[in-house]
Amino acid sequence: MLDTLGNLALGFSVALSPPILFYAFVGCVVGTLVGVLPGVGPLAGISLLLPATFGLDATRAIVMLAGIYYGAMYGGSTTSILMRIPGEAASVMTCIDGYAMARKGRGGAALAIAAVGSYVAGTASVVGLMLLAPPLAAFALRFGPPEYLALLLLGLFVLAYMSSGSMLKSLAMASLGLLLGMVGIDQMSGYFRFAYGRVELGDGLGVVPVAVGLFGVAEILATAGLAMPPQVVKPRLRELLPSRSEWRESAAPIGRGTVLGFLIGILPGSAHIIASFVSYALEKRLSKRPEQFGQGAVAGLAGPESANNSATSGAMVPMLALGVPSGPIPAVMLAAMMVHGVSPGPMLIQQQPELFWGFVASMYVGNVVLLILNLPLVGLFVNILRVPYPYLYPAILVFSMLGVYAVNGSVVDVWIMLVMGVLGWVLRKLDFETAPVVLGLVLAPMIELSLRQSLAMSDGDYAIFVSRPIAAVLLGAGLLLVLLNLISFVRRGLDWRARLALAEKGEETS
Amino acid sequence: MTAHRLVAIVLALALAWPLAAAAQEPYPSRPITVVAPFPPGGVADLTARPVAAAMEKVLKSPVAVVNKTGAAGAVGMQFVATSKPDGYTLLLALSSISIIPEADKIFDRQPAFTVDQFVPIALISADPTILVVRAESPWKTAGELIDDARKRPGQISYSSSGIYGTLHMAMELLSHAAGIKLRHVPHAGAGPALTAILGGHVDALASGPAVVLPHIKSGKLRALAGWGDKRVAALPEIPTFKELGYSDAEFYIWAGLFAPRGTPEPVLARLREATRAAVAEPEFKSAMDKLQTPIAFKQGQEFQTFFDADARRLAAGVRKVGRVEDKK
Repeated sequence: MLDTLGNLALGFSVALSPPILFYAFVGCVVGTLVGVLPGVGPLAGISLLLPATFGLDATRAIVMLAGIYYGAMYGGSTTSILMRIPGEAASVMTCIDGYAMARKGRGGAALAIAAVGSYVAGTASVVGLMLLAPPLAAFALRFGPPEYLALLLLGLFVLAYMSSGSMLKSLAMASLGLLLGMVGIDQMSGYFRFAYGRVELGDGLGVVPVAVGLFGVAEILATAGLAMPPQVVKPRLRELLPSRSEWRESAAPIGRGTVLGFLIGILPGSAHIIASFVSYALEKRLSKRPEQFGQGAVAGLAGPESANNSATSGAMVPMLALGVPSGPIPAVMLAAMMVHGVSPGPMLIQQQPELFWGFVASMYVGNVVLLILNLPLVGLFVNILRVPYPYLYPAILVFSMLGVYAVNGSVVDVWIMLVMGVLGWVLRKLDFETAPVVLGLVLAPMIELSLRQSLAMSDGDYAIFVSRPIAAVLLGAGLLLVLLNLISFVRRGLDWRARLALAEKGEETS
Repeated sequence: MTAHRLVAIVLALALAWPLAAAAQEPYPSRPITVVAPFPPGGVADLTARPVAAAMEKVLKSPVAVVNKTGAAGAVGMQFVATSKPDGYTLLLALSSISIIPEADKIFDRQPAFTVDQFVPIALISADPTILVVRAESPWKTAGELIDDARKRPGQISYSSSGIYGTLHMAMELLSHAAGIKLRHVPHAGAGPALTAILGGHVDALASGPAVVLPHIKSGKLRALAGWGDKRVAALPEIPTFKELGYSDAEFYIWAGLFAPRGTPEPVLARLREATRAAVAEPEFKSAMDKLQTPIAFKQGQEFQTFFDADARRLAAGVRKVGRVEDKK
């Protein structure tokens, strides 16, 4: 413990030196911008700026790239809350309750809660990174394909809590998402599936164009289709900050989201978007008023926003402690280290204490910078809502197209976004919710790959899922969840979701 | 330097649109784009950037790297194959340039591109893969692993960067040369493949040396043999498969510069000259040193011979793998 404090002091002496502070600040600003721009997420931001770091030394480069990474998670919530456009993939869940809050005139409060939640999650998870990195990283490596499949199947239960309407409809939407997730090269056999001769479809439908289309473009189309433009409750200045009861409601979800996001972030290959999905489901399950979810529940915003932030620190655990690229973003950051002649690996913390501890300390500093940066911006961003729709929406559409194009430089992605926008609009008209589509799209390729990898490992023997302890425990927990749900379903006949759907129908007809 | 590179990238993006270049203009009269068909941070990208920076100095004209990714590199390669052969769009390709068209043949599909659509300019680097196993595994030498694989066909597993990917082909060439059968567990990229062996989910991995060296040094992994025709400099005690008598198990993760076929000969000559000068630049050498990637500069007939031999081995490898479902 004393060691850690000493090391941290060393870290802060590095992190607070003017050049490092400067690059951390630049990273945070760029990250916020990258997050705010619809479609452009942290991966695209880091990739675009990686070449610019080649002239810097290793610590500066890595501090700046990390700033972009967690900065994007702060910024990603802004457009989700104000305009229902996910700034990056992990903000999809924020689009639901965050946007509903903005519609009720609580946009400023939502932005403030997102910023504070991100700050708490960011800071607390760095403590986790600092104290627990080596043992946790070793444990995370034991998550192979079978364990991962078991976890993803558990993730499918998230579905049950995704929708506030009909269960049948949300299952239909999830199936659509799973089907869309089948597009692309089959990783196990090399076949092109549903690509119709276009190599651009080889990697499947990206989460970003689909999410921006289904949420943002569909929202714009729906608004344009109204006879009268909807009345937005204009934010009043003194209502910018969350009320006392809103703070109280968000405290526990922020805490749970932080822990959950960190744990999921550590697992190799996992995506932040899953951390936010699971957090949303957990909050809905624990909530005393689950019917508020989708209508602007504070917990539905605070949980996922904290989870996606602490997942970034989680993802850095295997990267720093073992030199293992646990996802695409850590992989780019490892490359940045290699470019500077720092060979990442299990010896990094011992061999490069200045780099590791400076990096950890810079994350504390960076999170403070982001909080200071984001809270005053709340007042500025909220004013976007004052722009009349005829000007605001075309501008958003242009930015969405630019953002989605910029990620891969692919026009095909822009088309995917537009087609998904029309699809999302039709689905809205038919009263389907689109979040389960995104969940299905994210899960399908992961579930398929890990199932088939597991079977490749065992030469087709399904016993691999019960003979490995972690996988067996996770699958057992999943089975238990199904049984519990079935029992309560049978006993009550109608659960709250169905009752709620009926009540909603009643409202519409009256 | 940094600002300069950023300006160059912005300029290149702004000027990359066909401005109807007059044929008489001296080459290069506008920025050159080098397409890296893989994401930033990968081998192609990390080789392309120092090459581009060094060429920029030699040609005194901006050379920008653009990542055009997708479909295991096919998107970027197809883009260059079909772009105007004027010397302003170049490709930094890896070994997979010979693999993808061959895999397309296996599936009877319209190839995204063919090797004939490119003219080789220069080979930049060639890194032999090495075979690693976990330190606690029973195999101390490559011979022991091969013997064990003979006794238990299909029981020893390995991870790869993906089916028909470079790391898969390296293992297939070995299996073919040694007459053994290993169990293939494809992963989505070289990173996940490394994670899989470190986590103990597979037994073996073929990998570029730089990525696994820290794990060999820390005692997590053990190197058994290399696919090169010479031993890896950082691992002088590790034999090559050639030395062990498996001469067909030769494989490199190489990176080379290509232009679309039809590029005028004077332009190609200028580019060859420029790459020759570029790889001699001290900045380029130190960049490759840091990446621990050996420079293997080859041009003209020498590169063509290397390329043809490599393509022949890989084509045979892909054909031997065939379609996965035919094997069961």
